[in-house]
Amino acid sequence: MGVKLEPVVRTFYEELEKGRIMGRRCKRCGAVEFPPVLACNTCSGTDMEWIEISGRAKMTSLIMPSVLSTKPETLDLMPFCLACVEIEEGPAVNALVRGVTKKNRAELLKKMPVPVKAEIIQREGYKTVVFTLVEEK
Amino acid sequence: MSTLGKYSRSVSIIGVGCTPFMYTLDNPETAGLTEGEMFGYAALKAMEDAGIEAKDVDFYFHGQASPMNSSNYITPNMQVADWFGMRGKASIHHSEACCTGYLALEQAVNAVASGKYDIVLSGCVEFGDSLAIPDKPAHFRKKFPMEEFLRTTAWIYDRAYTRAMMSGPVICFDDAAALYATEYNLSDSQMDDTLNHMSINNRRNAAKHPLALMRKEYSELAKEAGFDDVMSYMRSPYNPKMGDYLRVSGMEMKCDGAAAVIVCPTEMASQFKQTPIEVLGIGCAALEGNQPHLEVRGTQEAVRQVYEVTGVRPEEIDLFYANDFIITSHLISAEIAGYLPKGEGWKYVCEGRTAYDGDKPINTNGGRTSFGHAHAASGLADLYEAVMQMRGLCGERQVKNLPKTTMLRGFGGGQNLTATIIRTVD
Repeated sequence: MGVKLEPVVRTFYEELEKGRIMGRRCKRCGAVEFPPVLACNTCSGTDMEWIEISGRAKMTSLIMPSVLSTKPETLDLMPFCLACVEIEEGPAVNALVRGVTKKNRAELLKKMPVPVKAEIIQREGYKTVVFTLVEEK
Repeated sequence: MSTLGKYSRSVSIIGVGCTPFMYTLDNPETAGLTEGEMFGYAALKAMEDAGIEAKDVDFYFHGQASPMNSSNYITPNMQVADWFGMRGKASIHHSEACCTGYLALEQAVNAVASGKYDIVLSGCVEFGDSLAIPDKPAHFRKKFPMEEFLRTTAWIYDRAYTRAMMSGPVICFDDAAALYATEYNLSDSQMDDTLNHMSINNRRNAAKHPLALMRKEYSELAKEAGFDDVMSYMRSPYNPKMGDYLRVSGMEMKCDGAAAVIVCPTEMASQFKQTPIEVLGIGCAALEGNQPHLEVRGTQEAVRQVYEVTGVRPEEIDLFYANDFIITSHLISAEIAGYLPKGEGWKYVCEGRTAYDGDKPINTNGGRTSFGHAHAASGLADLYEAVMQMRGLCGERQVKNLPKTTMLRGFGGGQNLTATIIRTVD
């Protein structure tokens, strides 16, 4: 199958509207791209298939928001941190993780990696993906 | 990951030029300076330094981080040519945000190494403190407030996902510091002191540099604020925290400036005025803002490439520069390059060993927090300083032992990473 010109970004956001978080898996090497792109960054393969992301992930590092990184448009998401998140399907990405406070920061740092789950949230005119701490049972 | 090939012919630096890094609008003597005057001055100073004239230069590269926003130009290379006598000669513009000046050398070296041109000039100009006023002549400018800067800096990042996921554009302020503190088990206060000492060292260096933006040492600022001890001042609300680790003293001072370099084949270089400095190699990597720990990963790759292609060993590096618009860069990149021992570099910093008069000098011009950050031009300003140190011309801020081999680590632009090794030709 040759390279296909397709609106990957539009598809990603349209799927979020339907409640699904999508990535793309390389049919040649099996590596997953999240967020989804045209080609595989692991083996350079171009035959990619859409897959739904489970949402299960782990946070491997965190920093707290600061004067520089807190913007009016993110205030409704407080409390949160900025983190490296590895999703179950493999890839790691910088992401926003909700539920992290100045109080639980130290405890979380000791316990890294910490389980988190993806969630779809509404922004102005589109939906996006953030992560949330998974409460321990 | 790429494996670099050897240059088709050796290339050397024969001339450098640099303007003061400044707030042009705040000084009646510099208010109204334009792109052509700033770039032209740096270019002409580089020619004067080399002992050549514009007619000798075959081609030039032009770098500017944000020409549309700050200068209202789409092809800004076109509008500077006449200002330094290059009318009609070919040129090209490139833009890699804060890494532009480091890649400016890369462009020029490749153009000469390929054999296409013999003498190439590469310059960069930036107005980080002022903006063009649309529909008015070029000397009309207005101040460039931080809010506007932050708004337009977001344009560095991916619009498909990174901006919408809200972490990539901002995690970089503290990511490298958090990684370092975790990896080497530093307490928050030890990491805080390390960053403060880097700011102090940078300012000590800049205090002795006539082209630097910020020249008042922190010890003096502390005294003026009624502190006996500079570290108490650095930990005080006079130097507020902007995040988990980063304080105001560890952030770039954006400003206006321009710088330029001229390169030619090493075999031709001895006929010019200065002792040539060979560009041994330039390693390059790039990672978008959504990629975790991108500065560390990209620096590791760039450094690996340049050591591999040049055969230089870390212990041969005499002098180190890091684009430290977030001051942590200064420490982590020096350790990745093997210039400072892994996990021990913070002690060197805290003991002042990385200041100009220490045994492991870093950013002898004061770096981005004190020399200033004229975004595109900063890389070439670092190169200017490196060349001056290697010629032994830095007066009271001259490092103890004349450096023969220098590494410069570039960083910026959503984000590019470079590692350049230059060496004085015997």
